[in-house]
Amino acid sequence: MKKDFRVQYPLWQMAFIVLFGFMAFSITGVSTELNQNSQGFSYSLEFNPIESIFLFGALFISFISILIFTRKISNHNKQNPDQKISMWQIRPLEYLEQDEGMTHITRRAAQKVYTFFVWALPLLAVMYMVFDLPRFWMILGILFLALMQYLIYYLEIRKHLGEEEE
Amino acid sequence: MLQNRVKELRARFGFSQGQLAERVGVTRQTIGFIEKGEFSPSITLSLKIAREFEITVDELFWLEGEKSI
Repeated sequence: MKKDFRVQYPLWQMAFIVLFGFMAFSITGVSTELNQNSQGFSYSLEFNPIESIFLFGALFISFISILIFTRKISNHNKQNPDQKISMWQIRPLEYLEQDEGMTHITRRAAQKVYTFFVWALPLLAVMYMVFDLPRFWMILGILFLALMQYLIYYLEIRKHLGEEEE
Repeated sequence: MLQNRVKELRARFGFSQGQLAERVGVTRQTIGFIEKGEFSPSITLSLKIAREFEITVDELFWLEGEKSI
């Protein structure tokens, strides 16, 4: 069960969030220039070397990760033809709803995540109102909440699925 | 809290968690959750488990502080 893709899915999401963080760092640090005259306009983006490395490194790793990720979904669907999942489904992929026991632990994990957001979102909103933060730090705050959401969910599910068969 | 004899009866009947789970149509983990008291099963699942052990539901489950029949 621990190897079930739906159990590992939050780890994948956390990895994608970290990669997105690197992309956000690169993109928010870019210099932009807009020139407009009577004949038209030009728009240029200028990356410094470190930001370029982060951006292209993150894009490359994301591309490889998405390939592996889709392969994993495909394998999961082959192994569990009656519990197929899709990258494009609206319901979160991490929900375990094979039976009433699994639905119960999914609900408990989701409740913990909900409790986290009840406190974290207002706190983040207050921080953004009080401090004049650069755009990157605002994005980083949102990504941190998203990361925590998946971490809380994953740890709760793992806690219940940790024991081997007796 | 709901108490139960699932683990005891499962051992008596020689079932693994996986075998009992298969017989009643749930995952092995759900049997584990019930045995540990982490989860109170529905009436339907309780009836299915009790039927496997050839006893009634109130012989299998009881409320904490009350004696099982």
